[in-house]
Amino acid sequence: MIAARTVIRVVAALVATTAGLAVLAAASAVSLPWHGADTAALRLSWSARPERIEVCRALSDAEIEALNEHMRQRVECDGRSATYALRVRVDGVLLGDEVVRGGGLRHDRPLHLLQTYEVSPGLRRIQLEFSRRERASGDSVSGASVAAPEADTGIFAGRAAREMSERGRRTRAAVPPRMTLDTALAFAPQQVILVTFDPDGRRLVVRADAAPRRVP
Amino acid sequence: MTRRRLRLARRTLTALDAAANRLYGWRWNPLYQSGTVAVVMLLALLGTGLYLVLVYRLGAPYASMVRIDQDVWLGRWMRSLHRYASDGFIIAAVVHAWRMLAQRRSWGPRTLAWVSGGALLAAGLVEAWTGFVMVWDSFGERLAREGARLLDTLPLFSEPLSRIFAGETAVPSAFFFVNLFVHIGLPLGLGVGLWLHVSKLACPTLLPPRALSWAIVAAFTIAAIVRPAALGDAADPLRLAVDTPINLPSAFWLPWSEQLPPLVVFGVATAVCVAFLLVPALTARARTGALAASVVDPRLCTGCNQCPYDCPWEAITMVARTDDRPTLVAQVDPVLCVSCGICAGSCAPMGVGPPGHSGRDQLDALRSLTLPALRASMVARCVVFCCAEAPASHRAALRQRGALVREVRCAGNLHSSAVELALRGGASGVLVFACPPRDCAGREGPKWLGERLFNEREAELQSRVDRRRVGVGTMAAGDLGGTLEFYDKFVRDAAALAPAVPASDLDVALECVTVPGAGDAE
Repeated sequence: MIAARTVIRVVAALVATTAGLAVLAAASAVSLPWHGADTAALRLSWSARPERIEVCRALSDAEIEALNEHMRQRVECDGRSATYALRVRVDGVLLGDEVVRGGGLRHDRPLHLLQTYEVSPGLRRIQLEFSRRERASGDSVSGASVAAPEADTGIFAGRAAREMSERGRRTRAAVPPRMTLDTALAFAPQQVILVTFDPDGRRLVVRADAAPRRVP
Repeated sequence: MTRRRLRLARRTLTALDAAANRLYGWRWNPLYQSGTVAVVMLLALLGTGLYLVLVYRLGAPYASMVRIDQDVWLGRWMRSLHRYASDGFIIAAVVHAWRMLAQRRSWGPRTLAWVSGGALLAAGLVEAWTGFVMVWDSFGERLAREGARLLDTLPLFSEPLSRIFAGETAVPSAFFFVNLFVHIGLPLGLGVGLWLHVSKLACPTLLPPRALSWAIVAAFTIAAIVRPAALGDAADPLRLAVDTPINLPSAFWLPWSEQLPPLVVFGVATAVCVAFLLVPALTARARTGALAASVVDPRLCTGCNQCPYDCPWEAITMVARTDDRPTLVAQVDPVLCVSCGICAGSCAPMGVGPPGHSGRDQLDALRSLTLPALRASMVARCVVFCCAEAPASHRAALRQRGALVREVRCAGNLHSSAVELALRGGASGVLVFACPPRDCAGREGPKWLGERLFNEREAELQSRVDRRRVGVGTMAAGDLGGTLEFYDKFVRDAAALAPAVPASDLDVALECVTVPGAGDAE
């Protein structure tokens, strides 16, 4: 016959084990607050190539002649990437005023922007301004004359035209010197409205299911 | 300060051990098995993980989780068991580390085990992190966002990882692929870490007793069936979740981390890691006195090769002798020796052991302290050998009952000749109380003791000794009743035998010196 003491001990062990497992199961999914119930957010997120602030000059024929043939470029540029000021106003209140630089140690890589601003739900007037801080023009290549493109022969024929074309492509790929967005958006509770850069239209656009309203 | 904290940790541990012993008994106490329970959890994780990875879809992580959850008969409890086993692994590993720290088993030769154990725990936390991200519910999203925020501080990626979760596009499958790759690849690292963790041990114990292993798996399975793990709402980058179900055992750091700048988080994490790595240095004790490494008396060593077999730390090797005797001689590596003294009990001629704790030292102590007390006693008394780590309250209770209590470094430290000498000195019986087997600081103490006293393992208790007067018990915290019950029964049984008569016709110490080809051993 099993002693009463043993039975009590087994029952106690079972109860303790059950309690331990219940605590484990409860600790496995503890509800933890994350965002306020009455909160919405405006998120800005885009990647773009910053403009180049360059001083360009056309090389003389003698200078080109001195270079190895595969290193000859008719236009030589020296410069840096532009920096941008981001200003965010919600209902006229300045929420963000930041400097945005290109990535990398020398800031010559594409810039990546990711900012989230908490806003109260409801209809809000959103004003964004993303503008270059430097005053210089974006690309001074147009000021450098490209001389004697007919001098390129053989496999290098047409190089001057390709250089021009490449510079134009880079200029078009870069973010515009100034972009603005002034609109009214209806924020539902917990909703995130995303503003991003449309590289085809070269402008800021609102994404998400909230359609922009007219400016009050 | 460190000593005071360690004493507090030890007291707390002993109190918890005592409570668990009262509930489960020392044989089933899971706290004693914390390290091996972690391995059982790891095996459960592997088993359930293999199933889950087969039905997991990288292209639709949350949808595949919902599908698994809807499979009531297998998928739901597999996923829940996987979740609970990961919690169990973290908890068991923390308890194990705490036990080692409180018992000051975290320095010297155990440093590698301590450091690799910490790495295993950290890997377990990372493994849990990636596992929760795989689910891609609101908690997974929260973990992923926090991880990206922290990683973006480091100059690792050309584009900030956080933009993956901005909501411009769907989170790419490549992210889930890398996450899955880490989640599956890390267990291989865990295997290597586990090997390192036990690499210094001669006979590592990787699993609890089979019955306990199955009981633990069964308990976790029942929990998984009765209360399946919660699945949060689907991750939605364009929606701010009000709350998320977070997993406390593996993501306890998340609420704090989210509030702190990334550099502060890295600073705190680094400080914790450095503190963990410094534990062996902070808890180290001088290798003198009771902690001095074992030494070998080459004049007594017969080259029998028993002490290298018995040493739990592989600290003893047999090397060529420098004299002209034909045998090898034992050599102790003091860097590997933890001074457990188990070698002292293994050496028939008593030629090895920690200074002051060799078989000869035990006989000297018996002669000078215990035998006079036996002779002076009007009634036959029982001699009780206890491990020095045994609860003081138990020892005091035994003394109150008339036992002559002597402490040894570890039950495995006790030389069988000391048992014989006590009986020859007039003891009615000799009872040895060892620690619970999985709580033995010398790892193999209770095991080798039993083998030596009852199963002819070198240095065996001589056949001329009446085994009815010898007993081996277990002294576990919180089980004073069990200790006294065992003692009382032993004393009653011994009293039923013919009265013990002191015998002095044999010099036990000399009897043990049987060095072949070395008549001049003394």
